[in-house]
Amino acid sequence: MSAASRERLGDALSYLFMLVIFVFFAWPLLWLLSLALRTRKEVFLGVSRFIPKAPTLDNFAMILSSDKFLGYLWNALKLSSLSAIGCLLVALPAAYAFSRFRFRGKGGWMMAILSVQMISPLVIMVPLYRYMAAIGLTDSHFGVVMVYIALAVPTVTWILKGSIDGIPRSLDEAALIDGCNRWGVFLRVILPLSTPGIASAFIISVIAGWSQFLVPFLLITREALTPIGVGIFQYAGTQNDSSIQLLAAACLVSVVPAIIAFLSLQRLILGAMTAGAVKG
Amino acid sequence: MNARILMLLSAVAMTLPVAAFAQDTITGDTVGPADAPNKLVFRMTSDGPRNNDPVLAEGYSKLFNAFVANHAGWQVELQMMSGDISQEQARMLEQAKSGNAPDCAAVDSFVLPLFKKSGVLQSFSPYFKKEEIDQLFPFIRDGVTGADGQIYAWWWSTDLRVLYRNTEIIPDAPETWGDTKKAALASVEKGMEGLLFNGGRYEGTTFDWLANFWGQGGKLVDDAGKPIFGEGENREKFVKAVNYYRDLVESGAAPKRVATIGNYDDFNAAAAAGTSALFVGGNWQYSQLKTVLEPEELAKWTFSPLPGPTKDERSTGTGGWTVAAFSKDPAKVEMCANLAREIYMGPANELQEQLPTRADFYSTYKIFSSDANKAFGEALKVGQARPGAPVYPEISNQIQIMMGKVLTGAETTDAAADEAFKAATAAFSRL
Amino acid sequence: MTVQNVTFEQHVAERLARGSRHDAPRVVPWVLPLILVLGLFYLYPVFDVMRLAFMRATLLANDGTYTLSTLIDTLSRPELAQILWVTFVFTGSSVVAQQLLGLVIALVVVRGEGRGLFGTTIVRTTALVAWVVPGIAGGIIWKMLFNEAPFGGLNSILRLMGAAPVQWLSDPDLVMWSVVLSNVWRGTAFSMVVMYAALKAIDPVLYEAASVDGANARQRLFYVTLPQLRAAILVNMILITIQTLNTFDAIISLTGGGPGRATEVLSLYTFNIVFRNYDLSVGAVLSILMLAISLGLALVYAVFLPKGEE
Repeated sequence: MSAASRERLGDALSYLFMLVIFVFFAWPLLWLLSLALRTRKEVFLGVSRFIPKAPTLDNFAMILSSDKFLGYLWNALKLSSLSAIGCLLVALPAAYAFSRFRFRGKGGWMMAILSVQMISPLVIMVPLYRYMAAIGLTDSHFGVVMVYIALAVPTVTWILKGSIDGIPRSLDEAALIDGCNRWGVFLRVILPLSTPGIASAFIISVIAGWSQFLVPFLLITREALTPIGVGIFQYAGTQNDSSIQLLAAACLVSVVPAIIAFLSLQRLILGAMTAGAVKG
Repeated sequence: MNARILMLLSAVAMTLPVAAFAQDTITGDTVGPADAPNKLVFRMTSDGPRNNDPVLAEGYSKLFNAFVANHAGWQVELQMMSGDISQEQARMLEQAKSGNAPDCAAVDSFVLPLFKKSGVLQSFSPYFKKEEIDQLFPFIRDGVTGADGQIYAWWWSTDLRVLYRNTEIIPDAPETWGDTKKAALASVEKGMEGLLFNGGRYEGTTFDWLANFWGQGGKLVDDAGKPIFGEGENREKFVKAVNYYRDLVESGAAPKRVATIGNYDDFNAAAAAGTSALFVGGNWQYSQLKTVLEPEELAKWTFSPLPGPTKDERSTGTGGWTVAAFSKDPAKVEMCANLAREIYMGPANELQEQLPTRADFYSTYKIFSSDANKAFGEALKVGQARPGAPVYPEISNQIQIMMGKVLTGAETTDAAADEAFKAATAAFSRL
Repeated sequence: MTVQNVTFEQHVAERLARGSRHDAPRVVPWVLPLILVLGLFYLYPVFDVMRLAFMRATLLANDGTYTLSTLIDTLSRPELAQILWVTFVFTGSSVVAQQLLGLVIALVVVRGEGRGLFGTTIVRTTALVAWVVPGIAGGIIWKMLFNEAPFGGLNSILRLMGAAPVQWLSDPDLVMWSVVLSNVWRGTAFSMVVMYAALKAIDPVLYEAASVDGANARQRLFYVTLPQLRAAILVNMILITIQTLNTFDAIISLTGGGPGRATEVLSLYTFNIVFRNYDLSVGAVLSILMLAISLGLALVYAVFLPKGEE
């Protein structure tokens, strides 16, 4: 087989694989869409009907016209983007130190930081609530952001360390020779070159913050401060008042900002790589 | 390119905190004048102005506005509660312990014992007349009364379980377990799924099934709240009631999937799809069926009291919602009691067609003198609430686990029942 | 190599050695923010959990005395062995499946981008949406798909194709795989993002060198890509293992842990203990158990990490 036809076979297999993956991931989402387009009456039909007989956009209209829902979205956006930025600010220098410096017990420290994440947040939440209540940080976005950072920072530090490890040390050395100090190396060499890692760490921490439930559930009681992760549950309804169609619409709307964030950051990942390739 | 991401991030970083930490002053969550000197924080379920049904939401808004207009100098801040009841109530208990609970809140009748025991609720006795309390059904009155004889909540709505059937396929109401099995098998021959009931890991599984145990006079706990369902006579009744469900599945009178059902909506779906003619459901489903089924289909459906081992040994589980006060300020406790009386006791029952807890309301409110509601009111006479013991949630959890093992045939009924009892007893000793 | 170059390298080495002597005390400012955030906002509750494990505290009451009875009591519960086994099966198969699937998707997407194929962004975005959809919605959707009624999502497709219906959730031997499937659906995007970033970070020079040496696609995969990804794969495995051990929201809305205890993983068990039984101390013991398991697994993975930089 010639190289060209092998490549073409590869393309065909890639397309087939992508199709299978797409169906696997998209099919359940289409069900969600099907639910979101139903009327109150049809939602009780459950799985027995995939394409609604009388599709309606009322559920989306109801969600988007509610001042509550937009407030929930805005709160979630604030909390998750602030915590993701905070996470990067805290984790980047630490990841650099873990990647480049030699000091005693480095492996142990790395593991200790990760082990913070290994304790189930379920049980932490009750003492955490008491602690935050004692220092007056309940019903405060500042308190919630700090807890989100603490929850996500171990993962982010590990991911960033991995991506900094991938940057050749010779570049640091060259910069040091050029007279940079460590901070200079960090800001001028490491940060620009680890953009793909930073972008994926940012995506991961935004999404982690976006989907937080227990922390804001316990720490926030005022409706005006509630993020979407908690607010969305209010659409689930109780047994006497089933409103899955609204919940489905709310879930779909709540996913949109994350998609936008991902699509725009993706450009940056790709852009950074092409820039890197030119340099390499 | 790299500079761009950094610039973007830092720009966002600089602008967001300013916007973020300036606390919003959305007034959408308060009812009444914003400058009113007194504020009552009320945490509610969807039984309020935030109901997803616009008609109900409007009805509640009217009630709340009238309430605030009636009490000058007060505003009410509304907080919403999600559908995960146990988690919500756990949070409220924890907040009450740290002094951050709302002033007034909806409390599920089945966690009321825990709240009473932990001493976080304030007495309502001074604010309700003896005649009002006397009108409550006995199991309701017992539920709200504390060890000191004071009442600690106002239980305003109740519900119960009944057997729904499609009369075209099953003309006569089954009165005994035997009748039920026969009727279910007959419906299977006509291409139906058989009897549907909750059998998954869900509170409804325990609650709906308990009627079969209670109907025989079985008791889950003794007066001290200690589990006794696995000893002596109670154990016999317990195993007998479990075997009733087991036999339904093994004989094909109920489909295997009952072990996965943990949601009353599944029954509505099966009724709408026309695959089932018989299910154990809640009274509120009657009005849901009206919205799901075409009128000529709806006409075929009716309900009857849950069957028992014999037609005289019957019972049904009853639940519902209460309003209770957490605030230490007597003025707020009184406002909370007023809110329970003026909004929920009566008007809310009528608005949502939720069964009242007072016997006299079945004649004073026109809507509750309909045939269906009269029948529900009649069935309430053999109603039984879940035991007011702190160990109940664990008993329920163990019964759900047991049901899964029994209905899938993974274990014998006796072994599974004994395991459940042992675990419940162990949990009791830790309380 | 020329003499000039040797002296140049010596010069660098000296400079670095000097640097690292100074580095030892200077590590602190770099990691201080991290330590502060964790210390101020998380450490105290962690210690409190340790303390609670040796008490008999519930949400309702705490008598304040210390005892070993909770520890012994909890660890000798008869159901614990089954819970741990279920946790092992769930975590093991989810982690392996997410890692493999995430890697393959990333590889295909990177290849597709290189060849200018259509649809790579769509595939990535769809996987990502599955990740962002709130857990409760995921549970509701999969419950409809696995519904065993004649009109259930997957079963009605099977019926159209003339196949027998499957007991997705009521067969105790099958239910675990249904749950794993739904978890893989939701969790793969994380691995995909990490693997994608790691693939993009591989120096293109290595591939050029491999092509010059006449390596075919398979050889490039096994001798360039995978060795280069080793660290990223191991770190990803550690992270998703921890995440999976803590996952329960999808299970809770899909099966609630049933039928019986067939899908009750350790984190769901803990959730039930804390939020349904209000038992803080037993929950604390269980979360320490979970910490011990995660730590043990992380140390095992760490053994395989490349030792280069140490």
